[in-house]
Amino acid sequence: MKEKALHVLLVEDNEGDARLLREMFRTEKVGSFELTHLLRMSEAMIHLRKGEVDVVLLDLGLPDAHGLDTVRQAHAVAPSVPLIVLTGLDDEALAAEAMKEGAQDYLIKGQIENRALPRALRHAIERHRMQTETDVIRTQQLQFKDDFLSHVSHELRSPLTAIYQFVTILQDRLAGELNLEQHDYLGIVLRNVNQLQSMINDLLEVTRVQAGKLAIELQCTAVSDAIAYTVDTLQGAATAKGVALTSDIDQRLPSVNADPTRIRQILIILVDNAVKFTPAGGAVKVQSGVFEEDPDFLLVEVSDTGCGITPEMTERIFEHLYQISDPGQAGRKGLGLGLYISKELVTRQGGKIWVSSEPEKGSHFFFTLPIFSLASWIGPMLTREKKPGDTIALFAVEIGSRDGWLSPDVRKEMSHLARRLLQQCLRPDTDVLLPNMDSVSVRDLFFAVVYTQEYGAEVIKTRIRRQFESCEQLRPADLTLTVSHSFLALVPSGKNQSMETFVERMAARLQEQIDAIRLQRSA
Amino acid sequence: MSQKTILIVDDDPDMRLGLHVRLKANQYNVIFAVDGMASIAQARKHLPDLIILDLGLPAGDGFSVLERLRANDSLSLIPVIVVSARELDANMDRALKAGAKAYLQKPVDNAELLKVIRRELGEPALPSKAVVHDLGSI
Repeated sequence: MKEKALHVLLVEDNEGDARLLREMFRTEKVGSFELTHLLRMSEAMIHLRKGEVDVVLLDLGLPDAHGLDTVRQAHAVAPSVPLIVLTGLDDEALAAEAMKEGAQDYLIKGQIENRALPRALRHAIERHRMQTETDVIRTQQLQFKDDFLSHVSHELRSPLTAIYQFVTILQDRLAGELNLEQHDYLGIVLRNVNQLQSMINDLLEVTRVQAGKLAIELQCTAVSDAIAYTVDTLQGAATAKGVALTSDIDQRLPSVNADPTRIRQILIILVDNAVKFTPAGGAVKVQSGVFEEDPDFLLVEVSDTGCGITPEMTERIFEHLYQISDPGQAGRKGLGLGLYISKELVTRQGGKIWVSSEPEKGSHFFFTLPIFSLASWIGPMLTREKKPGDTIALFAVEIGSRDGWLSPDVRKEMSHLARRLLQQCLRPDTDVLLPNMDSVSVRDLFFAVVYTQEYGAEVIKTRIRRQFESCEQLRPADLTLTVSHSFLALVPSGKNQSMETFVERMAARLQEQIDAIRLQRSA
Repeated sequence: MSQKTILIVDDDPDMRLGLHVRLKANQYNVIFAVDGMASIAQARKHLPDLIILDLGLPAGDGFSVLERLRANDSLSLIPVIVVSARELDANMDRALKAGAKAYLQKPVDNAELLKVIRRELGEPALPSKAVVHDLGSI
């Protein structure tokens, strides 16, 4: 059978080197190789895009690309084509780096033997094929695992629901009287149902984390609300165990730029663990303050007087599937996912999480979250080049319901939708839709900062009205829309004023206006 | 005061019985449907005050039930609470847009379910009672 010719692309600007290599192919059987020789990276890229090349021989010193960049460029255009790098005798270190960037092999110029070249080419192709196959199989396996976990978790929920329903029916004595012992035993069943349910939730959450599907919506939010919520939720469990659960929050704490739901989730995991590992008579405390080491962050601390953690464990405790026995239930372990999930959640919001602990003396879990800064939101639009007389406009858009809100869920949904619509009315490169400001009473009040003057502001106002009026989904909710705006002159920064000071000053003035509008609306 | 009627639409008999016992104990009158088609027929016949709807149903899933309820003048105003084992991410938005008043994920906490039912029926909320089920100590 006739072997298919291998298409080799040689990218080499040195005519001498190129001639030597061409000679080597000449000794090969006719029709086994087809050689294309190009001098520049730009030409090579065009040729690679055609998709006919089986293997590339690449010089690292081309007129229009140099060093590892050459490899990166080629790899980016044709990730499925194996690369062999040509390098000088003194450049083996560079060649090794090139392999990390995706090259299959390297050949040292001047040391290439006649028979070695075709062999190196065939090996590179074969190795590359095997590697691609392994990658495909790995991706398929991961996908299968995700689908499987998600499917199993859902299917587990239905029988669990039935168990929960009937145990609580018995326990609430809806099916007749119970003696004390029976009531207590049902309590044990229920506790285990709850444990199973939280395991199922953790499994699904991890699947989401690993598939990169974890939704995080950053907004300006108060950590103190999340702390109060967590202490409230877990107070019952702590009291029942004889553990004192308290929080110490300064109400003047700065807001953070984070997702309130996710902060609650992190705190629930940490506080629930702390209560679990603290014996009766112990205490769990939640505190928060500005992080001393980096004042751009807020520090949250969950401390307990429990059994503590050994130094080796403090390193590993945030790892996937790392488990510690639950002291309250001998031999019982969780899935080892809680701290892993909280680490992901903290990291994804730009913070850090760690623990300091001594055995028998309790543990202190810490995490940080970035403090909300209006200056960092509007900074980019203000650093653009300004003309004298330029202004920015602060838009306040309020959504209301004529009949009053039917349900909190619908209201939340509408608020989401309104945000999306507003975003569409703004120019993505110059205008900024500020994140939701917390506090329930003003959830439907949105702020946008727009780089515009009088005329432009009217255009945007009209655009917002039209956009909302033409939205099918908003109509049945019988919504009202209030749009107002005010201007701030961009005073040219004085000679001694840095850009940073200018942005800070503008942010402070915007904040004043925002606070005034919020106060007025919530009254 | 006359009893309010709740239509439970779920293909799982255990789920129907469990909800039935729980709702009856809270002085509601309960009727059933086991699939999408029957749910519309039951709603037409009895005009319930509220519907508890599962999403995975034979003969027309929960979303199509929501659509058909909304398209029918006499049924479009009945509040619907979706109770499903499905993930919130993908389904909650869709259900609320299709006209559901709330989305609760199975297993639903009893107190939470009753709270939402009372809210949707316009009944005053019950004074909150600290019922903690899982505290039996060994």
